[in-house]
Parts: sequence; C-alpha cells; structure tokens
Amino acid sequence: MVREGDYVAIFNSIHRVMEAEKLLKERRLSILLIPAPRALAADCGLAIRYAEEVRSEVEAVLAQAGLLPRELYKKNGEEFVKIEGES
Amino acid sequence: MKDLDVRGLACPAPVVSVKRALETAEGALRVLLDDGAPRENVRRFAEGRGYAVHEAAHEGGFALTLTGAASPGATAVKAEVPAAAGPTVMLIGSDRLGDGPEELGRLLMRNFIMTLLDLSEVPDRMFFINTGVLLTAAGSEVIEALEALGNRGVEVLSCGVCLDFFKKKETLAAGAVTNMFTIAESLMTARSVLRL
Repeated sequence: MVREGDYVAIFNSIHRVMEAEKLLKERRLSILLIPAPRALAADCGLAIRYAEEVRSEVEAVLAQAGLLPRELYKKNGEEFVKIEGES
Repeated sequence: MKDLDVRGLACPAPVVSVKRALETAEGALRVLLDDGAPRENVRRFAEGRGYAVHEAAHEGGFALTLTGAASPGATAVKAEVPAAAGPTVMLIGSDRLGDGPEELGRLLMRNFIMTLLDLSEVPDRMFFINTGVLLTAAGSEVIEALEALGNRGVEVLSCGVCLDFFKKKETLAAGAVTNMFTIAESLMTARSVLRL
C-alpha cells in the first residue's frame, strides 16, 4: 500500500492515529490510513500514508493539533528511511 | 492450444478471465492482450501461480503463452487448485469487522482488507453484501486495495440489490455487480467460505 517516495507516519496510539486521520480528512487532504508496514514495528499497527505533494500541509495540520507522529518514514526502493522520531 | 482474447478489457477483467480459463484449460493457453497494465498483471498473476510465460508481439498488442511450470509442454495442464475442489470464498456482510464501536469496526475492516495484500494466499472470490457494498463504492478507503487484489486474480463482486438499496449502483468503484443466484451457488460449491 506504500508507493515509492510516500511518507508513512506512525503514531503511538490508536486514538491519536484515528484523530489525525479525521482531522486530515476534514481538510480534504489526500491521505490514507493503512496497516503499518511490517518492517516498521508499531504498537497500534496503523499508519498514515501521504505523498510529497501534501507533506508540508499534512505536517502543519498535525503540528497545530499536537498530533505529530512518533516516527516518520519515507519509502525508498525496498527500504523505509527514517526521517524523524526516536531512534 | 486454446486462445483467449482479452484485448480492450479494463483491469482487472484480463486477469479474472485468464484465471477462469486456466481452471478449465487443457494444455497451454495463449492470451491476446494489450500492452501496459494488462500485460504486466497477467504475467505476474501467471508466474505467481507457477506458469511459464512466453511473450510475443501480436497485432499491435501481445500474445502471452502460459504453460504449466510443473510439466512444461504437457497436454493436460491444470491450475494448482483443481476446479472440482472449488474456490475459496470470502463473504463480507458488513463494512465493519467484529462487534463493538462502529468507528473501530470500520477501521478494522479496512485494515483487514489492506492486510490481505501482504499475504501469499488470497481468496478466489470476495462477495460484498449489505453494508459490505459501501466498501466497493466510490468514497471507500479500500478501493486501491481491492483493485490490487483484483489484479492478483481475486474476483470482487458486490450484491446488486444492496448497491441499489444504498443508491450506490452508479458509483461502484471496484469489481463487478453480481446477484443472489451467483452468491448462493458460489457459497454452496466453495472449498471454504470465510464469513466476515
């Protein structure tokens, strides 16, 4: 479900990821709630996928709502490259 | 060798037609198709099922010859699952998975359908009935996942009466429309039925 160059944001609770999805959908931003890729361990097993074109807008909305993801990855070939978050 | 012409058909129809033809094909199957997504999807589908694929240009499109990998050149090549054993059918009777809060149920159902894509084994047929058809209509979050499943040979079928009831007949976005006869017959002849 993750295309080349897509961002995958992982949150630390199901409630946060659902709230983030609701907020981003209300802003009509093109995002998709997806199962977290198995390579990325996630407690709640869900993640939000978005493309480069909407990245700044998505992250601005999340920051404003205090809903920044715990970790952010970018799909690069077969790998997920960590962009932000705890190591 | 049997010929199957799927030129001009939109995805996932070429894969579905090939899948059906392989279930009954005696010997190799030659598929005439358009370049691009149909060619790639049929090739991937056939190789995934263990068929050897030979490609040749044909009248502006392509001809893919599929030969059973287990016995190349054999005269009686069957798909890995004999038709007599019946298909694996998934019956999705709701847009929610499990009992509990509606919001959580919807999220779990979406998560489930997308997760199917990660599995090596997928159902042969998925029937969507009642609120399940909300998953196949425009605006659903799983259209992309259902299209990808379709390209792997999964038949995605929605109950026409249900689409009609929810006024979604015009906005079906994944798979095709079916009727109760097909649903009932398919359930009765299935190898296994998974009811969600």
